[in-house]
This record gives sequence, structure tokens and C-alpha cells, in this order.
Amino acid sequence: MPTTVKPVKLDLARLEAMAESDYYNPYTIFDWPESLGTDRPWMSEDLVTLAGTEEWGKLTREQQLALTRFEAVNFFSLNVHGIRELLSEVVLRIHTKTYADASEFLHHFIGEENEHMWFFGTFCLKYGGKVYPAVPQVGPGRIEGVGDAATELVIFARILIFEELVDYFNARMATDDSLPPIAQEINRVHHQDESRHVAFGRHLFTQLLDQVKETRPEDIPVLANYLETYLEYSVRSLYNPAVYRDAGLDQPLELRRRLLEHPARHAAHTAILNRTRKFLARNGLQVQGASA
Amino acid sequence: MSDDKLTKILTFIHQRNPEVGELNLDDDLIDRRAVDSLAFVEFLYLLEELSGETIDPEEIDVEDFRTLRAIDKRFLHGAAAH
Repeated sequence: MPTTVKPVKLDLARLEAMAESDYYNPYTIFDWPESLGTDRPWMSEDLVTLAGTEEWGKLTREQQLALTRFEAVNFFSLNVHGIRELLSEVVLRIHTKTYADASEFLHHFIGEENEHMWFFGTFCLKYGGKVYPAVPQVGPGRIEGVGDAATELVIFARILIFEELVDYFNARMATDDSLPPIAQEINRVHHQDESRHVAFGRHLFTQLLDQVKETRPEDIPVLANYLETYLEYSVRSLYNPAVYRDAGLDQPLELRRRLLEHPARHAAHTAILNRTRKFLARNGLQVQGASA
Repeated sequence: MSDDKLTKILTFIHQRNPEVGELNLDDDLIDRRAVDSLAFVEFLYLLEELSGETIDPEEIDVEDFRTLRAIDKRFLHGAAAH
């Protein structure tokens, strides 16, 4: 971990107080039914990767419901893997000089993220029988040729992007009465905690970006390009051929390609990524003509 | 490996990283940054299409992706390795 990054200065008293007052015991608050049944969607129908396309209309109702089940398990699996990766980075940084000001909040953050990983994993295993596997990292996960502040920024920007993307889904599904109550509830609880995490992530992002602007402004366009690529990578991870295979859909790889090219899905990606792209643009990290 | 499959793999690599330049069968794709972590998922799906077989992410050995020859041997039945 770089030592040239200056300590961040954050006033987190309000977020720390909220983390304490909002605290709940994840191991006891949920009512986990033995099974969820197959007569209702497990994921909001307007959030599945076929939504808005003619592909959705080609499916029987049974296939549509099956797809919502496997897409829910895939979405929660992505949460499991995303949390695992972000936790490993945060644990490395807590109680370092750079993040000393944030360590109190980071303890709450680590605890909450561990609990989120537990309930998302529990849903996958209990109702889906598996967590969809993550694809292993190949090569360096960092941008090469940028300074230390930019390297740190990328770590926390990835965490922020992940949190904002999943929060778009959590917020919708938390209030979708067509879903089983347990699916609504874990989306609601996650949305509640992520609101604090996103606020923290944006403060930290801005601090680290100021350091990049002061020390190596030439890194800014490199960062903008990388983060746009990361946005696109993140949204494409929702389209899992294994899900289509499990739901009994034909030619899953071709289906994935058709969906990723579909105008309705481009519009959906714009909606999913809108809040994050606006935040990046306000901070001078806009990529012209970007589309996922 | 058929020329067609090799062309598709190289096209994929050069679209994502035009700076990688010419690649031979034994060049190290990871050291050369031909495929990075953000492109790797898409690369796997391309290999699934070319091989006609599902690749289980939990059974992946990174060494199987290190060179075009290794990819050919592991996923495309080794026609280029002989």
C-alpha cells in the first residue's frame, strides 16, 4: 500500500452515529422460510436482463419465473463476490496513516459488509443451491503508470461503483410486493446500510481525487477511461450465460450478445449507471460518448 | 487451432488492447497485458463459443490462458501445438 498518499480528512461523526443507531443483528432479524415457491418472481421483472426486449415475451410464464429465480441468485452472488473483494482491500488499509481518520467508520463498514455477505450468501445457498462462481482475477487489478493517489482512488472508486450499482437494484426490489418477503427484506436492509456507505465512499473519493489533481493531474483522463471501462464491466456482469442455461434458455452466449446490443438494454444501462456517471462527471471524470 | 479461431482470438485481443502488437503462439498473454482482469470474463465467453464447451470458472488454471498455445491445447484440442 502506497505511503505517499496524504492522510484523508473526513468528518464522519454523523455517519458513525447512524451506523450505531441503525445497527441490527442480521443473524436474528430475518425470517427465512424453508422454501420460496416458484409461483412468484424472486427478482423484480423489470430488472431482469431480458426486460424491455422481445426475448422476454418469447418465454412461457414458467420460463420467465425461472429466469427471475436464477437472476436473483446471480445478483446476490455478484454481491457476495463484490463484498469479498472490497473487504480484502479495506482490511489492508484500516489503521494505516492515510485512513486513520476513517478507521472508526471503517470498523462499522467491515462489520456490516461481512453481514451483508452472510445474508446474500445464505439466500443463494438456501434457495438457489449455490453461489454462482466468480471469474478469477488475471493480471494486475490496478491501472499501470499512474501515481499512488490515483491507485488508491481506483480501489475506493471500484467499491463506490459496485455499491451504487447494486443499490439501484436494492432500492427497487425493497418495495416490490410481488417478491417473496425475504427477498424484499434483504434488499431493504442492504439499501439502508449502503446509503451510509455510498455517502462515505463519495467523501473519500473526493479527497483522493483532490490529491490526484494536486500531484499528478495527468492521471485524470487515464482514471476517467478506466472508470468508464469498469462501469461497463460491472453492468455486463449481470448478463451471465450460466443463468440463461439454468433457466433453460437456448444458446445462452448468443442470447447474451443479442441482449448487450439491444437498444432497450442500453437504455436500462443508462438508467442503472446514471447516478454514478453524473457524480464522476461533476468531478471532472466524464468520458464523452460513453455507453455501456 | 484453426486460422479462423486464432483470428477471432487475436481480433478480440487487439480490439481491447491495440498497443499489444504482434503475438506469437508462445508469447505470454498475461505479462504482455493482452488480456487484463476487466476483459477476462468476455475472453472466457469467447473461448466457450470457439470450443463449444462450458468453462467452469472454479476449475480455471491461469496457466491455461498464458499463451495462445496453452489456450489451444486446453480449450481448442491442441491442433496448433503439434
